[in-house]
Amino acid sequence: MKKYLVLLSSVFLSVSSLYAVSTGTYDDPLYGTAMLNAISYYPAFGEVFTFLQREWFWKGFLIALFLVPVAGGIHYRMIGPKVFSHDGKKIFAFSVLMRVMHNLAAISFLVIVPTGFIMAFGDFFGGGTFVRIAKNLHGLATPVFAITVLPMIIAWIRDMFPNSDDIKWMMIVGGYLSKEKRPVPAGKFNAGQKGWFWIAMPGGIVMILTGALMFFLNKDLSSIATFLGMSQIDVLRVSAIVHNILGMVVATFFMVHVYMAAIAIKGAIHSMITGYKEEEEVAILHSSWYKQLKEEGKV
Amino acid sequence: MENINSRLKFYCDTDRCIECFACVVSCQNAHELPVGVARRKVVTLNDGVEGKETSVSIACMHCSDAPCSQVCPVDCFYIREDGVVLHDKNKCIGCGYCLYACPFGAPQFPRDGVFGAKGAMDKCTMCAGGPLETNSEKERHTYGQNRIAEGKVPACAAMCATNALMIGTSEKVSELYRTRVLARGQSKEASNSYIWNLAYGKQGRKGLTQ
Repeated sequence: MKKYLVLLSSVFLSVSSLYAVSTGTYDDPLYGTAMLNAISYYPAFGEVFTFLQREWFWKGFLIALFLVPVAGGIHYRMIGPKVFSHDGKKIFAFSVLMRVMHNLAAISFLVIVPTGFIMAFGDFFGGGTFVRIAKNLHGLATPVFAITVLPMIIAWIRDMFPNSDDIKWMMIVGGYLSKEKRPVPAGKFNAGQKGWFWIAMPGGIVMILTGALMFFLNKDLSSIATFLGMSQIDVLRVSAIVHNILGMVVATFFMVHVYMAAIAIKGAIHSMITGYKEEEEVAILHSSWYKQLKEEGKV
Repeated sequence: MENINSRLKFYCDTDRCIECFACVVSCQNAHELPVGVARRKVVTLNDGVEGKETSVSIACMHCSDAPCSQVCPVDCFYIREDGVVLHDKNKCIGCGYCLYACPFGAPQFPRDGVFGAKGAMDKCTMCAGGPLETNSEKERHTYGQNRIAEGKVPACAAMCATNALMIGTSEKVSELYRTRVLARGQSKEASNSYIWNLAYGKQGRKGLTQ
């Protein structure tokens, strides 16, 4: 019961932020005197945004687009995927609620990330209807992701704080560079998963906020602008810069996450469908958690 | 572009602008713009502050290094030989990046897309239409009138009652403005125009209101 209350209230909190929109006034907060006064501050963010968008963002997205597929391809050929027995006992890892939340986020990411790339390389696709549809889907998929953020943070944050296992895990890169099956030091979530959590969750909130600002660009955002001590146009410019740079990072980590779950560890994706992980997989890849479960007599 | 001074430019003489909004209204009427889209705006700084109040009519400045065209993710901008910056609305996705790059807040975004998503960007075309067939019904509907093709001055400058808003090649506009400034006696060399200072000078204005 308490679980559903938390879920309901977090959904309500996420949705209510969409209504923080008011009507324009005579002296438009974006186009009026505020814009004229912001002209002298143009070099601060306007020029920086223009430079970054012209010279660097498309290069960054190009690297983000090819880095993981190329590195993943090399890893798959040289070392190969990890295969664990699917006949042994299974360990319950994810509740129905968290599987639903995770998979809603997964579906929304499968829309948001490719459409983001389509927009970043809009000139490659020649603009027009196709890129415009991608832009609209990018925005429409966001509320689906937004409702899953708080439940996922609440459910998993306790397991996500770094500990000594994570340093050892990073020293051997999670054991993914060898073909041997040696127990890898990691709790319920390994250092890689923890890193993804901290990028996707707080980073995801930043992406939602900056994206929402840009979606509502010509609404009255003066309360936010005053709070930040900037003009509305500068808030939008900062949003665009942050959204682009963080977007590259999130997209890269997302592709790593997909590669790991769907390709590099055979059948690992089933834990997010059925909720159960293979015992051998847990014993090797999450050895600390396995030890703990054994001590508690749960295995 | 052989000579940068042969590019078409707007210039608003702030000493002459009386904040009558005629340029805004004539623009909106000439191009039948939707509500909420103001290609041209009149902005008043220091409203009501004696001696400091200044109004300026502002729209797309048709920059030579147009930042909007540098950031557009779908490359929908093009700059004509005469310096007019135009864009292709069929390519535009309404992302808003041109607005972030623009120092003057020229790009406007009508909300006619799905769930109030931003539609294609709309901005001042210097009454030069767009990439569609010149003076076709489609061009007029999408981009507004193409007065330049007809040899007419843009609607805003044609309407300006005090001739504050000037339009022409950089050479012509600066020549005209220079003549005005000299006649007003704002230059040290020129002989002062007594009436101008009485009417518009800081001291004169104060004297009149007291």
